[in-house]
Amino acid sequence: MLSAPLYAQDTTAKNLDEVIIRQRQKSTTINMIDPIKKEKIGERELLKAACCNLSESFETTPSVDVAFTDAVSGYKQIQMLGLAGPYTSITRENIPDARGLSAVTGLTFTPGTWIEGMQLSKGTGSVVNGYEGVAGQINVEWRKPFDEKEERWHLNAYQSSQGRSEANLVHNNRLNDRLSTNIFLHGRSQWLKLDQNNDGFLDQPLDKQFIAANRWFWFGPNRWEIQGGIKTVYVENTGGQWAYEKGSEQKAGAPWGFELNMQRHEGWAKLGKIFKNPAKSIGLQLSGIYHHQDARFGNRAYEATQKSFYANLIYQTFISNTNHILKLGASTLADDYDERWTGTAYTRTEVVPGAFAEYAYNAQKLNIVAGLRGDYHNIFGAFVTPRLHLRYAPAERSVFRVSAGRAQRTANIFAENMGYMASNRTLHIQTKETGKAYGLDPEVAWNYGINFTQKFQLDYRDGAFSVDYYYTDFKNQIVTDLEDPHQVSFYNLQGSSFANSFQAQLDYEVIHNLDLRVAYRWYDVRTEFQTGLKEKPLIAAHRAFANLGYETKNHWKFDYTVQWIGSKRIPSVHAHHNVGITGETRSPDFVQMNAQISKSWNDKFEVYLGGENLTNYMMHDPIIGAADPYAAGFDASMIWGPVMGINIYAGFRWKIF
Amino acid sequence: MKRFILLLFISVFSISSFAQSNIKTETFKVEGNCGMCKKRIEESAYIKGVKRAEWNKESQILTVIYRSSRTTLEDIAQSIAKAGHSSEKAESSEKDYNRLPTCCQYKTQSCDH
Repeated sequence: MLSAPLYAQDTTAKNLDEVIIRQRQKSTTINMIDPIKKEKIGERELLKAACCNLSESFETTPSVDVAFTDAVSGYKQIQMLGLAGPYTSITRENIPDARGLSAVTGLTFTPGTWIEGMQLSKGTGSVVNGYEGVAGQINVEWRKPFDEKEERWHLNAYQSSQGRSEANLVHNNRLNDRLSTNIFLHGRSQWLKLDQNNDGFLDQPLDKQFIAANRWFWFGPNRWEIQGGIKTVYVENTGGQWAYEKGSEQKAGAPWGFELNMQRHEGWAKLGKIFKNPAKSIGLQLSGIYHHQDARFGNRAYEATQKSFYANLIYQTFISNTNHILKLGASTLADDYDERWTGTAYTRTEVVPGAFAEYAYNAQKLNIVAGLRGDYHNIFGAFVTPRLHLRYAPAERSVFRVSAGRAQRTANIFAENMGYMASNRTLHIQTKETGKAYGLDPEVAWNYGINFTQKFQLDYRDGAFSVDYYYTDFKNQIVTDLEDPHQVSFYNLQGSSFANSFQAQLDYEVIHNLDLRVAYRWYDVRTEFQTGLKEKPLIAAHRAFANLGYETKNHWKFDYTVQWIGSKRIPSVHAHHNVGITGETRSPDFVQMNAQISKSWNDKFEVYLGGENLTNYMMHDPIIGAADPYAAGFDASMIWGPVMGINIYAGFRWKIF
Repeated sequence: MKRFILLLFISVFSISSFAQSNIKTETFKVEGNCGMCKKRIEESAYIKGVKRAEWNKESQILTVIYRSSRTTLEDIAQSIAKAGHSSEKAESSEKDYNRLPTCCQYKTQSCDH
């Protein structure tokens, strides 16, 4: 099951010369057995696109949408089930990863080369992993040094026409049968100033980024497993208007600048033991994170520090036989936030101890996973999180899945909405309370989903058809109200807020080695703002996707992705200074295309060349009021489409030994 | 009109059944060494006329579905032999066998998994 922190390891002596190449399988496979619907995104899928970091790894996955948060910072946010990135739980081998202050920026802290694969699930997940994720879970697996398939050295270098250079290195070292370690290094620089839309602002900020990690694995006698690791991140961004120089004074008349500096240090450990009966095991996950960020948007500053500690103890056993698995455990999640926005300080400490139990019933055609968590939040009090997953397989290749559950989280209104800081909107918290989290309540949502997957064979080639529907209902939400062009208002939900999400997807091997994937998504996301029940801004109701992948016998790979994104609602904005406030509008629908060609030799050396936004489709004037960034109407956050034009990139991947 | 429809139905049915009887599913043993060779064996089996090829590493049996009007079992075995894997239907030449990566050389190496 997903939540076990342990890796079963076969310790018989291996012929190290042999490398096992997995048989040709779909690069993304849908698990048919697990009651929780998981899409497994393998290395083959990740290699289809430039995939420089996690935020760019979903180009060929229709379940996740990616969009820029604004036209200045260069950061992208994911969206699942029509809900923004922070509603998705992002974990690294089941330890919470990008959350809190790093809910949006954290996706750039995992370089693509480090990733072995990912599991993506929609809806609320298992109680074992916490109570926060409502839209889904993205669990990232890093390369494992004890895996025989892993080469000792992975080297990757990347260069794009838009001026981004990147280098990655992964070194795996199996010291002996029991002990192994790997080192991960990443360096990146955006060194070219570009303004393709001629609005006077850099399309992407200049940046320097350095990330390093080291982890150790020890498989002891009596089936003990110990794992420990550290990771460190340094990021420096400078953007805004072309003439802006880092550190210069920000005031009317001087160039408007954007700066973001981040440092993050993490340490984690996992201890586990599998008992004589392999269905019984116990594991402990520990994680400590220190994250500091410093941002300047014109003459407004946002500074924040987060200290986080997580511990999760899981005991797995069975009742009479392995068809009845029981997991029991306890966890603690503690976060200390210290934020400052335009001089006002916001601090809070959250300590949430809790306990959980999960029962899994496995029969041939029916699986049920029922979980219950009880947590006590030091600020908000006690709450209960029930989760239910059902899987029914009427035939070998047909599966129905149903899920339902509750999720709760504390909205970090500043860190999650940094995109709106790139404007002259006042960030206004509407509350009469003090204390709590910015004087606001926690977000609580219920999610219900149903999925049907049918695998088939047509003309002796494999295919799969999948449909799903999810409904998310917020009992409380921190509404981010953009209806007034001069403000962003945050307030507790009064009324209803919900998201309907429908997805239909078809995967089929059209001819041998030519894979086709087509998908259609429909979203209906509405919130009761103070001005009434309206569509959530900047979310397209209709989206279509198609991807073609072809591989030849001499290892040439061709990948082509085309997306059609429908119209989005844009709330009223303060247009050019002499026009004033315009009413609500709708963005046009548009088509976006990406393609990539690669050639590999002996599965060891690969060269790739690709293009993003091949139609060179760009928003005209993405920044409202760009001519006068210190005036009231300046707003770089109303982004509904690509901010940059065509991008050509090339790189190589070299696996040694 | 009725007779025309009947004739049409019969001819369509017989064309499709003729096409169907063309498709054969056969198995034969192909020598190979574990998982690494599976992909090579299967890919080399995909010559013109072959619909599907699956090689089981435990039993060493290759199941191939092909159109008998387009190709024969011997042609498929020859293609696999050219890639370095001998079978009960075709022997691999020394030159082709030696081109296999060391661990795949099934005559001398054994598989641990």
